[in-house]
Amino acid sequence: MPRKVVSGPDYDDEYGDDYDEYDDDYDDYGETGHGDTQLPMKEEKESLKKSSGAVPVLWRCSMCMFDNHESMVYCEMCGVFRESFIKSSKDGSIKVNRIPSDSGKPLMPKSDSTKVPLKTRTADFGGDTEIKNAGISHEKVSSTQSASVGSSSGTGKKVKHIALPEDVPVERTTQLISDHFQLKEEQSSRAGSSAENEDAAQKLSSDIHKLGLEKNEVDVAKTCLPEEYKPEKWMFADEESGVPSQLNLAIVGHVDSGKSTLSGRLLHLLGKISKKDMHKNEKEAKEKGKASFAYAWAMDESSEERERGVTMTVAVAYLETKKYRVVLLDSPGHKDFVPNMISGATQADAAILVVDACSGSFEAGMDGEGGKSVGQTKEHAQLIRSFGVEQLIVAVNKMDAVGYSKERFEFIKVQLGSFLRSCNFKDSSVIWIPLSAVENQNLINIPSDGHLTSWYQGFCLLEAIDSLQLPSRDVSKPLILPICDVIKSQSTGQLAAFGKLETGAIRNGSKVLVSPCGEVATVKTIERDSNSCDIARAGDNVAVSLLGIEGSKLVPGGVLCNPGFPVLVSNFLELRVLVLDVTIPILVGYQVEFHIHHVKEAARVTKIVALLDKAGKPSKTAPRFLKSKQNAVVQVTLESPVCVQEFSKCRALGRAFLRSSGSTIAVGVVMRVLGQDKS
Amino acid sequence: MKLLHRDLVRNGPGKAKLLPEEDDDLWHAYNLIVPGDTVEAYTVRKVLREMASGGRDSERVRLKLAIVVESVDYDKEGSVLRVRGKNITENDYVKIGQFHTMEFELRRQFTLTKDVWDWLALDIIQQACDPAASADLAVILMQEGLAHLFLIGRSVTVTRARIETSIPRKHGPAIAGYESALKKFFEHVLTAFQKHIKFEVIQCVVIASPGFTKDQFRDYMYLEAARRDIREIIENKPRIILAHAPSGYKHSLKEVLESPSVMTLIKDTKAAQEVQALKDFFNMLTNDSDRACYGPKHVEVANDRLAIQTLLITDNLFRNSDIATRQNYVRLVESVKKFGGTVHIFSSMHASGEQLAQLTGIAAILRFPLPDLEDIEM
Repeated sequence: MPRKVVSGPDYDDEYGDDYDEYDDDYDDYGETGHGDTQLPMKEEKESLKKSSGAVPVLWRCSMCMFDNHESMVYCEMCGVFRESFIKSSKDGSIKVNRIPSDSGKPLMPKSDSTKVPLKTRTADFGGDTEIKNAGISHEKVSSTQSASVGSSSGTGKKVKHIALPEDVPVERTTQLISDHFQLKEEQSSRAGSSAENEDAAQKLSSDIHKLGLEKNEVDVAKTCLPEEYKPEKWMFADEESGVPSQLNLAIVGHVDSGKSTLSGRLLHLLGKISKKDMHKNEKEAKEKGKASFAYAWAMDESSEERERGVTMTVAVAYLETKKYRVVLLDSPGHKDFVPNMISGATQADAAILVVDACSGSFEAGMDGEGGKSVGQTKEHAQLIRSFGVEQLIVAVNKMDAVGYSKERFEFIKVQLGSFLRSCNFKDSSVIWIPLSAVENQNLINIPSDGHLTSWYQGFCLLEAIDSLQLPSRDVSKPLILPICDVIKSQSTGQLAAFGKLETGAIRNGSKVLVSPCGEVATVKTIERDSNSCDIARAGDNVAVSLLGIEGSKLVPGGVLCNPGFPVLVSNFLELRVLVLDVTIPILVGYQVEFHIHHVKEAARVTKIVALLDKAGKPSKTAPRFLKSKQNAVVQVTLESPVCVQEFSKCRALGRAFLRSSGSTIAVGVVMRVLGQDKS
Repeated sequence: MKLLHRDLVRNGPGKAKLLPEEDDDLWHAYNLIVPGDTVEAYTVRKVLREMASGGRDSERVRLKLAIVVESVDYDKEGSVLRVRGKNITENDYVKIGQFHTMEFELRRQFTLTKDVWDWLALDIIQQACDPAASADLAVILMQEGLAHLFLIGRSVTVTRARIETSIPRKHGPAIAGYESALKKFFEHVLTAFQKHIKFEVIQCVVIASPGFTKDQFRDYMYLEAARRDIREIIENKPRIILAHAPSGYKHSLKEVLESPSVMTLIKDTKAAQEVQALKDFFNMLTNDSDRACYGPKHVEVANDRLAIQTLLITDNLFRNSDIATRQNYVRLVESVKKFGGTVHIFSSMHASGEQLAQLTGIAAILRFPLPDLEDIEM
């Protein structure tokens, strides 16, 4: 994590720092304009900033967070090479301080024949030692070598054993770190297995441009990304086409606060539901004795939901406002359905938090039943924030029941506002709107009710939605589409994967790789809101039907990606988490449910690596347990592998949540993918 | 388990003749038999005979063999106990010193000879022969698309079935798909229910889930029972109760057992006590973390200072093949008891025992806080 030199508003709570740090990457991207390059550039930028001052120039090791002096090329603690060093080394122009004189020649550029330098290296260090060093330095550099190299074959299959290609990148490093490790290695058997090295040399030349020096369990795909990925022309949206951009809006809040009714109302007012359908809903609702739910039934369509009067899964609806094409994700508010809400809110760009203004209901939403646990208003706000959503509209619903009273509105604003601030929502990005869905006040036009207009002159809901800003879309990165659902598409009757494109773009005929099964398929049709379209770009919510793959291979929780840049599939991960309010401390062996984009898995905390303090530096290694509000690095083992990507590479696939006993106990990001667990 | 005959000296050598009656008893036998003991029972041996014509013929011969145990295996899914060891009986078919594997079945007695009948072994025998009613609870833990069927015995929890299907989320027009997939899922669960749950043995069935899945399943089940005329379900309706669970995953079983309605059913059994003890431990860890510790080293240190009030230990620590370690643990348990502490031995086959096993298998609640445990390496 880069050091927080850029300072946002300074909040004292620990929360503030953590949420801020998750967003730091984002800010840096925007600022430096290096949309493509990631950590290497960032660290250089940081070091540049530092070098301008009188402070000793330090760089932070991305593995262990240790601050090293600028002159060090590798981290003192863990031995991992510095990013910028590696990057520049690839270009072949390097000046290395601590290389022993015999291997003083620079690293060969990629295209050079590698035989000669290798031979000299062989003479110096002996083939065995080199390989052995390779093997051992392997371990030292990274605790578990993920089978990421196997993924270089592009099939996305995980190969566990250390094959020869894996030796190759390390061989490159050995000449640089050999000085470091030779001190540690006693044996210096000069057995020349030069034959072995010849083969290695061949592979070296061919593979070297594909593989890079590893750090952070980097998979080969990373080195292919992003320098080598060239987005095609058609992927970029043409500004002049006049097609409004898409905004994904999640509607969250405590149970019975009026989310589904609000969505239904909006749809009806904007003409998305025909009068006939509305009448039908009203009639049926009245028959069932649930007349007040008539609008909510526009969203809750299954018989179970209608009967019980609750939303159980996320419902998707499409709207159009003046500025955007909005995708509404109406989430369940019930405590038991939070996992479903997580899956829906993954796709959100902004959120509407619906709060019930009635006396007692608001309090219940904040504190939960009996004041013991956290109410869903709070839990959803925390979850939404940890999804990286910065813009929030708080809709205070059911104002008619409190007579549009200003005091109540202000009261709610103060209470909830302080909580939102502690979650690190910036005050400027939260919009407060009083409204009444039932009476249609302040939804799409200025309210007509006198009580309300007397003290409220702000936006109505529709205007507030229009005032939201779109986050930047990463169209230029390789394709990633997490599959939310696998549905039988209406028009073709075939199975289609439904989800929101996180990065990249696809069109009819593109080839995609389906994870986790690892098979390649072709895009047959793309549907958005039951209309076919040709191209879908990052940010679009589409249903993609594929050719060349069996329906059973498409699973919710899978990912469609670019065949050349597969996502990682693993069941052993290292996370950086923030522990929320928990009743039971988290110990090693604690069993949790692991949620990441659309996947839920049972998981176990295998190791608590270190406790982090506010600045993000490890303060205590291997603590016994974790309590509320602590930051830590933990390792988890999942029961079965999931598609995941490090947070720094892809945000959507890197955010994780840990839940247990019906509440969210920790939110975090994936720092490292450690590959298949050996146990 | 029935104890048919006993001829032993406390903390000394001796033998006992036992007759296992239920699955649980095989589990107790597994805890009893350690490598080095001698077991004698009727067993089957496949014998090769050379016939006059030169061909070989294999014959299964039933005989009584005594073997010196080298290894013990318990297969929890099949509820089978296998003991492997060297033969020490003189007979026509098996040479002395030859290896043989015995399978223990229910209702077949065996004689166990040990060198040292320590406190632990005697305790196990006593528990096993206790005629108190066992829990015998069946729990169906489900969420949409995932269901587990557990049979909770007195000391063993067995997963009888695991059903996983992918249910598409409702998505506008594709509602019908969701409902039919759900029905299919319930159908599978019902089949598993009929197959594994025998109401003669099971006292009560608990259906647990987050949300409304349990109600949906129960309604579906009654409907199908009425339609297909499944006597068992119709007659035993009052024995089927609902409970809330936070999720459908295995580790949520613990919370199901903690819910009050289920707790009343199992309150006399070991399972309930284990759950309670573990809950106390976690509470202590949250509220006053210096008074709780886990891990063998910490617990040893705490014991040396006579600080342990309650010791929680899983039985698989005793099944360690290294005699010294096992004796170490036995000594630890005895010393805790001597100084007035309580010991809970968790069956590692229960949900709570599994959880304790994840935390190294040994934990303790202390009488007074020991803050310097933090500094000691685990």
